[in-house]
This record gives sequence, structure tokens and C-alpha cells, in this order.
Amino acid sequence: MTKAYINGTGCISPQNSIDSEWFFDTINPAKGDYFDAIEPSYKEFIAPNLLRRMGRAIKMGVAAGNIAIQQADAKKVDAIITGTGLGCFEDSERFLLALLNNEEQFLTPTSFIQSTHNTVGSQIALLMKCHDYNFTYVHRGFSFESTIQDALMLFEEGKETILVGGIEEHTPNFVILNRRAHKFQEVTLNTPIWKSTTPGVQMSEGTACFILNKTKTDKSLASVDGIQTLYKPKTSADILNKLHSFLKLHSLTLADIDVTLMGFSGDVNFDSKLQELLPSIEKESIAACYKNVCGEYHTASAFAMWTATKIIEKQKLPQVLAISDKTPSQIKHVLIINQYLGINYSFTLLSQC
Amino acid sequence: MDALIEKLKGQIIEQLNLAEVKPEEIKPDSPLFGEGLGLDSIDALELIVLLEKHYGIKIQDPKDGKTIFQSLRTMAEYIKSQGKS
Repeated sequence: MTKAYINGTGCISPQNSIDSEWFFDTINPAKGDYFDAIEPSYKEFIAPNLLRRMGRAIKMGVAAGNIAIQQADAKKVDAIITGTGLGCFEDSERFLLALLNNEEQFLTPTSFIQSTHNTVGSQIALLMKCHDYNFTYVHRGFSFESTIQDALMLFEEGKETILVGGIEEHTPNFVILNRRAHKFQEVTLNTPIWKSTTPGVQMSEGTACFILNKTKTDKSLASVDGIQTLYKPKTSADILNKLHSFLKLHSLTLADIDVTLMGFSGDVNFDSKLQELLPSIEKESIAACYKNVCGEYHTASAFAMWTATKIIEKQKLPQVLAISDKTPSQIKHVLIINQYLGINYSFTLLSQC
Repeated sequence: MDALIEKLKGQIIEQLNLAEVKPEEIKPDSPLFGEGLGLDSIDALELIVLLEKHYGIKIQDPKDGKTIFQSLRTMAEYIKSQGKS
């Protein structure tokens, strides 16, 4: 079965993940019921004449992609695949507001051009002079997972190096509207996110990009061994059965998984199946979470994959993520079980290489 | 004319999101495209919208844009010539 070797990562999140040395030692709390990403100085990554036209999603994507490329020392990539639930939301909003405010007159091209979902992938391609395969998946809670699935298939077709990324931004209007619809709730770091009994998530944003290689090199940090998506599973038993089958495909059982990162969002309506699943996970593996530090968004699974890569690299599970009391002695396999709105579930298996 | 040039500077900075550029850095006779401000074809479309939105001027022949948008001064002169300042 084709694997993907992670040779470089770049992550912009509500935490200080832009700093390559950061490993969950300092934690930035949410702004009540939502997180804002900590953004770098973009001038280091993007020329000023390009920067002035870019919305935040594009800037975050280009910068994170750039960091991943530098870390992997990748001279070229054979494909660029991005995933996003909402795309370039800021520019979409700007264009629609201009439509309303100017009564459909005087529409300017910039925000329209920049508002399409594939702008991030195309900007990275322009900067890298990559004229090869370029694709953007807009599959709600499966957007990032689809990039990995596509990359694994492209490796089977002979591609060697691929950039994948999950990108999401929010805007003040997005926060206001979701708050009105009671989609948010405040969760402090002291509240175990996996024990929530109330509805609402901490809405968030962020970008994580990866340079994946078909073959292992001295830059390889971890391998992505496989990924599987589950749409609207009926019960937690269904998820567990699918999980056992997924692991069996890789000749593993749950007992072989050193750390299981679980996508608890803090909303009891969406987390209930994971809450039911938790005892089975804790019985054989060590359970951990990640949305308590990155919040919830369509492509939070990209942050989870960045976290899993770091855990394998550092051979340590950060205390702030731990659910189980146990500490892993060695970390060979990390499993991510992500869920989005209780609809989109996915398993991603990463291994030491 | 000077007042109109100053007004145009602010409008161009806002419309083109030139956050790094200060009004005094835009010289009235410097080229807007290529050298000088270094604007490009997308900016040209933005300037056409700017003229229509703020001054009610519709450029009928796109070829005229090359002359009109040569510099701030040529833009201001064109607005004056249309009696829209």
C-alpha cells in the first residue's frame, strides 16, 4: 500500500506553531468562544506588490506552504493540492458587500479574483512556478482528507513530491452570524473538552501545509500510512468496526497505536459518538485531543496531522493534549480520529519512519 | 488641480490597497504603471472603476486608458476636461 513521507510542515494556527521550536509549551487561550490564528509577518514570505491583494486565507496558505517547502528543501513539487471548507471567505464577503453597497455597480476585479477557493493553490503555484497538477477540494469536513487521498493516488501514478494543505479563515461577520445561531460556546483549557455536556464549539481558523514524498529521504519526519473517511456513521459501534478494519488493512490493531488523537470539539451534539468510543480507545491505546488548542474548523484535521507529526518527531505527548493518564514509552504509530459536526469522520494513520 | 491630485492620491491608495505607500511618495508626474508605482493590468481595471464610482466618468474606449492613466496629473487633467472635478 502506498505511503506518503512527510518531509516538511508549515502550520499557522491559534497557537505559536509558526515557530518551529514550539511544542505546546505555551498555550494561547481562546477569545472566549472563538480562536484567532497567530499570523506571522508576511513580508518574509510574500512580495509587497502581491501581498496587498491577498486576503488572510491566501496569506496564511502561501506562508505555511513556503515554510513546508523550506523545511523539506524541496526545489520543485509535482502537484499542489489544497483543501478548504469555506475558501477565501474574506474576499467573498468583500465582493458581496460591494455588490450590496454599490447596488451592483462599480464592482472591482481584485476581491472577485481572490475570492475563489482555488486561489491559495494557484498563488503557491505561481510563486513556485509550478505548472503541474493543481487541485482544490471543497468537501466540507472532508476537504483536507481528500487532499491526502488524492496525493496517495498520485504517488501510485508516479508523482514524487506533492504539497498538500488545509486552509481556513474566519471573518468578524462569520463570528457574529454563528454566535447569533448559538453555534459557539466558551470552553476554557481547564474544562476537559471530551466531557462536554453542552452544545457549541470554539470556532477557529488556521492552515497546515505538508510536503509529501513518495520515497523516504533523510528529511522524512513521519509517514502517512493510510486515511479513510466515514460519512454519517449511525453509531459509535459502526465507527469502531470500521476502525478495526482500517487498522487491519495496515496489519495493526488498536493495541499497536501509541497515541490516538480524537477530534472532540466541545459540542455534545457532535461529540457523543466519540464520547462513547473513548473507553474502547483508552482500553488499548492512549487517548488525546487537539481541538482544545486549535478550535473547530472544516480543516482542523490538518492541524491534527501537524500535531501527530510533531508528536512522532519529539517522541512525546504534550500534557495539554492528554486525555488518558498513561504516558507512552515510545511513539511508533499515531492515529487521528477526526469528526466535523458529527457528520464527517476520518481515520488517519501516521507512523515513525 | 493640486487639490484634485491630492484627493486622487488618497483614493488610489484606498482602492488599490497600497497600505505601504504614503501619499507624499506618489509624485504627480511619475508613471503609475511599470516603473513608479508599479501598477499592473488588474490595477488598471480598478482605476477605471474608481473614475466611474467617484467622478461618474465612463471610459468608452479602453485604448484611452494608456494616456489617461499615465500619471496622477494626466488623470486629474482628464477628470477636469470632463468637467467632473
